[in-house]
Parts: sequence; C-alpha cells; structure tokens
Amino acid sequence: MERNAGKNGLVNLIAAAMIFVAAFVVTGYAHSLAGQAASIFLGLGVLVTFVSWFQMRLEENERLEKLELDELAKSKGSSTLFEAKDAEVFPASRAREQFEKFFVPGFGVLLFLLETGGAWLLWRWISRATGAIAPDRAMPALSLFAIFALLLFLFGRFSVTIARLENHRLLRPGASYVLLGAYICFVTALGIAGVKAEFLKVDYYVAKALCVLLGLMAAEILITLLLEIYRPRVKGKISRPIYDSRLVGLLGQPESLFTTAAQALDYQFGFNVSETWFFRLLQKNLPVLLLAQFAVLLLSTCVVFIDAGEQAVLERFGKPVVGGVLTPGAHFKLPWPADKVYHYRTEQIQTFDVGYTPDAQSENENTILWSVAHAKEENFLVGNREPVTIKDENADTNDTLKAPPVSLITVSIPVQFQINDVMAWAYNNADPDSLLQDLATRAVVHYLAGVDLNEVMSHARLEATQTLRDQIQTDADARKLGVKILFVGLQDIHPPVKVAGDYEKVVGAGQQMIAATNNAVADAIRTNALAGALAFTTTNIAYATRQRLEVQALARAALFINQIPAFEAAPSVYRQRAYFQTFAAATANARKYILLVTNTQDVVIFDLEDKIREDLLNLNVPNSQSP
Amino acid sequence: MKRNILTVVIGAVLIIIFALLLFVFQVRQSEVAVVTTFGKPTAHPYDQPGAYFKWPWPIQKVYKFDQRVQNFEDKYSENLTADNNNLLTSVYVGWKISDAKSFFPKFAGGSVPAAQRMLESMLRSAKSAVIGSNVLSSFVNADPKQLKFDEIEQEIQRSVQSQLQTNNYGIELEFLGFKKIGLPESVTQAVFQRMTSERQILISLAQFEGAAEAQKIKSAADRQASEVVNNAVADATRIRGEGEAEAAKVLPVFQQNPELANFLLRIDALQQSLNQRTTLIFDERTPPFDLFTGIPVSSPSH
Repeated sequence: MERNAGKNGLVNLIAAAMIFVAAFVVTGYAHSLAGQAASIFLGLGVLVTFVSWFQMRLEENERLEKLELDELAKSKGSSTLFEAKDAEVFPASRAREQFEKFFVPGFGVLLFLLETGGAWLLWRWISRATGAIAPDRAMPALSLFAIFALLLFLFGRFSVTIARLENHRLLRPGASYVLLGAYICFVTALGIAGVKAEFLKVDYYVAKALCVLLGLMAAEILITLLLEIYRPRVKGKISRPIYDSRLVGLLGQPESLFTTAAQALDYQFGFNVSETWFFRLLQKNLPVLLLAQFAVLLLSTCVVFIDAGEQAVLERFGKPVVGGVLTPGAHFKLPWPADKVYHYRTEQIQTFDVGYTPDAQSENENTILWSVAHAKEENFLVGNREPVTIKDENADTNDTLKAPPVSLITVSIPVQFQINDVMAWAYNNADPDSLLQDLATRAVVHYLAGVDLNEVMSHARLEATQTLRDQIQTDADARKLGVKILFVGLQDIHPPVKVAGDYEKVVGAGQQMIAATNNAVADAIRTNALAGALAFTTTNIAYATRQRLEVQALARAALFINQIPAFEAAPSVYRQRAYFQTFAAATANARKYILLVTNTQDVVIFDLEDKIREDLLNLNVPNSQSP
Repeated sequence: MKRNILTVVIGAVLIIIFALLLFVFQVRQSEVAVVTTFGKPTAHPYDQPGAYFKWPWPIQKVYKFDQRVQNFEDKYSENLTADNNNLLTSVYVGWKISDAKSFFPKFAGGSVPAAQRMLESMLRSAKSAVIGSNVLSSFVNADPKQLKFDEIEQEIQRSVQSQLQTNNYGIELEFLGFKKIGLPESVTQAVFQRMTSERQILISLAQFEGAAEAQKIKSAADRQASEVVNNAVADATRIRGEGEAEAAKVLPVFQQNPELANFLLRIDALQQSLNQRTTLIFDERTPPFDLFTGIPVSSPSH
C-alpha cells in the first residue's frame, strides 16, 4: 500500500507536467487569455506535486530505515548500535525532519511569491492584451482543454480517494491541485466556447476570475504561514504541509466543505472543534437550511415594488399581462420564472444633448463666450447666403474661394422628454433611447442644412426651437416610440470657436464706424460754431469801423472849422504851435539823436539797428572754404 | 417526519423549477425564437409570446432573436459628391428581423453583430453611390426648397432594401436617416478661412465706411464754415465802405482852407507814424533843436 502512494504521486507528477506543457502549447496556439491563466495553475500544480512526491520519498526512506534497524536489533541483540547519536543512526529520519523544518516553510514562501507575482503580472498582462482567439482555432483549443479536464479529473479523483487512506496524506496536496486543474481546464474550455458563440469577452472574464483566484490562494498561503508560527505543537501529531492548500482542496472537492472546515478548525485550535454540538447541528441541517433559503428567495420574487416615477411591464411566460402596466406601489405576481417585471422611468423627465457633450469643468464656469469652447462641441453644416460678393478676378489667388459655399455652426440643444406610452417604448424598438437621440440629431442636421447661418443665429432662432420640437415629436410618433417631447432648447448657437472672434470683430468695427461718424459730427459742430462766431466778430468790427470813420470825420470837420479862425489870425505861429505840440507829443517816448555840425572833423556813427541778443553774437561760425 | 415533508416539498418545487427550465422556454413579446432539433430548424419560428415545450439540450436548442426594430449608426465616412466636394456622412439605420427562419442560418446561428456588419457594408456601398450622384447643394442649401435630404435618404434605403430582398436575408430596413454630415478637416479649415474673409470684408466695410462718412461730415462742415466766414468778410468790407462813404461826406469842410487841412493831415500822419521804439536823428537845424546852435562850445584841450 505504501509503495502505491509513491507511485501514485509519481503518476500525478508526470500527468500534471505533461498536461501543463500541452496546455501551454495549446494556449500559444489559440491565444486564449484564460488558457494562459490555466497554464499558471497547472505549473504550480506540477511544483506542488513534485514536492509532495519528494516528501513521500523521504518518509518512505525513513520507514525502510526503521525496518532495517528493527531487523538488526532483533538479530544482534546488541545495544552498542543504539548508543550512537540519532543523526548517525537515523540519517533518513534526520533528512526528513530537516526537510520539514527548513525546506517546506521555504517552499511555502516560494509558493506565496509565485502566486502573488503570477496574479499581479497576469492581471496586468490580461488588461493590456489586445489579441483575441482566432475563430478557426477556437474549436480545437476547446476540445483539447476539455480532454485535459477529463484526464486531470480522472487522475485527480482517483488520487483524492487514495489520499484518504492512512499514511497517504502527502498524496492529497498534489491530488487537489490536479483536481483543481481539471476544473480550471473545464472553465477555460467554457470561456473559449463563449468566444466561439460570439460572446467575445467571456475568455477575458474567465482569465480575470482566475487571476482573482490566484490572488486568493496567495492570501491563504500567507495566512497559513503566519498561523503556523502560533500553532500549538502537539507531540505525536502529524503536521499538515504548508503547501497543502485548503482552498485548493475545497475547490477540488466542494463536497468536502465541512470536512475541510472541521480539519482546519481542529488543526488550528488543537482539539476537535468539529465534534461540538453546534458544528454537528449545522452539518446535519445545512441542506435543509439551504433549501429553505432558496424557497424564501423564490417567494420574494412574488412581490414587486415599483418606485415613484416608474412604471413596469408585467410579463407572464413572456406575454404582457392584459392591463399589466404596474404603477408605483407594491404588487403581487407569480414567482420567477413564470412572471417577470421590467421597470421604466415614465414620470421622470429625461434629457439628452444634441451637438455637444457637457464636461464638468466648463459646467462650473459662469461666463459663456463664443470664442472659448465650453463643452465638447460639434460643428454642423449650415447654409450660407454670402453677405458680400467676392470678385471673380481673385478666384485664382485666393484659396478661401475654393471652399464649398457652406458654413459651419455650433449648437447646444438639450432635449427633454417623457415616456407617455410604456408599452410602445418597451416593445417597438430594441434601443429606444438611442433611436430618439438619432432622430433628434437628424432633425437638427436637417434643419441647419436648410437655413442661412446669419438668419438662424438671429431672428430665426425662436422659430427654430419650435420647428425642431415639432419635427422630433413627429419622427418619434412615426417610429412609435411612445414619448412626449417636452422641450427643445437652442441654448447656444454660434459660429465655431475658431472663427467666433472674427464675428465679434465685425460688431466692434460697426461700433468704431459709429464712433468715427460721431466724432466727425462733433468736429463739424465745432467748426460751424467757430465760423459763425468769426463771421459775427468780423461783421461787428466792420460796423465799429464804419461808426468810427463816421464820427471821426464829423469831429474832424468840426475841429477844422474851429481851427480856421486861429490859423487865419496867425498862420505862422499857429502852424509853429501846432507843429511843436504835435512834435512833443509824438516824440515823447522816441529815442532821439541830434547831430551837431560844429565839429566837422568828427564823424559820429550811430548804429541804429535794434540790438541783437548777445548769445547769438557769440556763436562760432565755421570759416567757409575759400575757392 | 415533519421536517422530511418540508424537505420533500421544497425539493419537489426545486425539481419542478429545474424541469421547467430544462423542458420549457419562454418567448417574450419582443422576441422570436427558432428551435433546432439536432441542428435542423423546425418548420415555423415561434413569433408569439408565451411558454413552449422543448426537449432538453442537446436534442433541441432554442435561438431567440429580438424582433423589435434595432438601430445602429454606420461609420462617419468620406465620399465625393457629383460636383467634386468631399463630404463626410454618417447614417443611422433601423432594421428588424422579418423572417427569423431565413435570418437564422445566414448569420452563424443568427448573430446580430454579424448581420449588422453585413448591413453596414451594404449601406456604405449604397451611400457612396447615392452621394456621388448628388451635388453638395442638395445636402446643404440656405434655400430649403433646393434641399434633397429626404429624397437622398429614401434612395439609399431603397438601394439597401432591394439587396436585402433579392438575397432573402430575413431582414427588413425600417428607416434610415443622416445623423451627421460634415467636411474633412482640410476642407473645414478652408471654410473657416472663407468665413473669416467674409467677416474681414464686413469689418473693412464698417471701418472704411465710417472713416469716409466722417471725412464727408468734416469737409461739409469746413465748407459751411468757410462760406459763413467769407460772407462775413464780404459784409465787413461793405460796411467799412459805407463808413468810408459817410466819412467822405465831410471832406468839403476841409476845402475851406486846404493849406491848413494839408498841414493838419501831415502832422496827424507824423504823429501816427511815430511810435515808442522809433529812433529819430535830428541835426541842429531841426526845430526845436536849432536852439542848440546858440550854445558856446568848450575847447578840445578841455
């Protein structure tokens, strides 16, 4: 019997190693993500199977050594041999002890590192993987993994049964891994089958699930390593190898849940917890408890609660029940799977946006400008009645004229709707939400393609919202969507951000034009006013002059008449007197020079010019070159 | 015993449920089902809602399809219009499975994604052909009467529908509409340039029309001011002339003694011609400086 355990271990090792290599090759052939993850499990299984087989060999050697020593003791009857030290007398026993003391914990740590690293690397690799299973390779890969599953199941199941026998405990770790490998190969085959059935993500999700399982196994072995430090050592009690995973055993043999749990508790606490009354009661009634829980679960499907703002459609065996639109409140129905209920938000006002995708950052801004993008905006084609005629002679040189005669515009149109016929909404279209958005977008595209850019941005704006609302409602009714369009808002309509600045400049230029005209009018007013004043002054001066001339002439005439008698009385004296009076008055302030001619030799020269400023006389004038 | 009865009842219910799941399948109002027996489809698809019997797998298999209108949007693709303009378009399509029995074998067990891929390829072909036979102004035009949006959509739909019917795909095209129309990036940039140039023209119009208007106003004002001043100067001249005429009326008075009048005029002129900064040079004979001639002169040695 003991020899069979070693053989079984070796057979498990060989089978696990061969299937690991084969699975690795098949994975590379089919590019299966789940296959890759399964290969890691199978590789770990090979390691564990090998170590457990090696440990079995050590125990076998120890047993043989004891037998030989017993034989020798019986034949010689001498005690000399037994007086020697244990290490010299029992080398195989010593080797087994050293193995269990140092190698097994070390292997446990190694296993933990491999599982942790494997889970982490595999998760990252799966997340980045872009390849998919080739359709023509899916079926061979599926078949091969199914065969691997079958072979491993046969080997594993047999070994697990054998492992229950006395002194075959070391067969269990490898057998559990082989059995788990069988199930993982089966799940991998299911994943590949899913891909074959057009569920392309199934392989990916299976691979992710296996990653999680690998991580759990790593966590379990870490906990085992920590608990091993504090576990009470009972003399004569055979220790469980650290690499013998309870999680793997449970997954490989789910029916042994209670046995595994009991063993774990007994092992950890050092006494038979599994023999307590509570544990026994739980073990005895568990199927009933599970059944009862399932029954409660089933009964709970007989009541349905409809929230405020919702309506639900009740189907019995797939057929809508007559008058089966459920309103808010509690309702009874037949249990699943006879009756099923589908909820719809009928009262709630639902909204979607056409032409832009709001982003959180721009939503918080208080100012919305044409020239700053305030959402992820989309450009729509719009008709264009050109505001000016561009001359044809520039056509060859001006690139802009090669552009098609259309313009671009950005719009932000929120559409609000409500489901008013839940049956139509549920049964006429597979994806009514998406269809309504398509219809609304089409209405906007169609409308903008037939209007002028400047018109729709100004006076046609109000009309646009009404037209769009009517059009979307008409289209939705034609498609029997069962909705009421509540609101279509043209909350934002402007030229694209790239040209919005130029539109603003036009407005600025218009204002500049008005300013220039106003300034000119002001200048004109000033000029005319000053001219009027100047004319008035000139005329008045002329009037004054006229008046002066007139009165002066009269005065002079009167004076003259009075002077005549005096003149006639003493002509020379009068003349002389008048001359001197005038001379004195006229020359009173004049500079006077008198030339006396008594000294005819002296010539006095008077510089009669006005004195020029001194600083100007001191200027150094460069000499002109003489010819 | 009591507990055993409960267990049996619950177990029986569970068995019934599992049996129902194995032997019965449901068809929803929105579904149509095709049942295959050892891979061979049965005579008629199940298109009415309700529960139906079937043999468990692997004897019979049930394939369910959504018989509601399904919609998808094709790729935003570039085509050339009849007047050589590149136009990007994307259409949405509503289709439904009209004949599940025909549909089922043609698309690998009734794969809807496969059917949509096939429809998309047909759609792209039909779309290219129809867009290529229409000018850009049929898609975008400020005059809505010249738009042929609806006609173009119907033409594409008819083209795809005829292909579907010819090959009996079991699919019916319910509706089709343009979801997006646009221009390639390079053309979009050209449109932006043109829009900018149009704005530039309007800016120049505003700026230079303003300057011209200002200039006109100023020159009109200058002219008006000049007229006013010139008229005033003319009036002033006339007024002064009147004054002169009035003054001239007293001239005969002076004719009574012309010698005295001339003398007075001369000394008036002399008085007016001398001002503060005048420098006068007289010799000793000029009265009253002739008084200096009688003053004795000292010898040069002194």
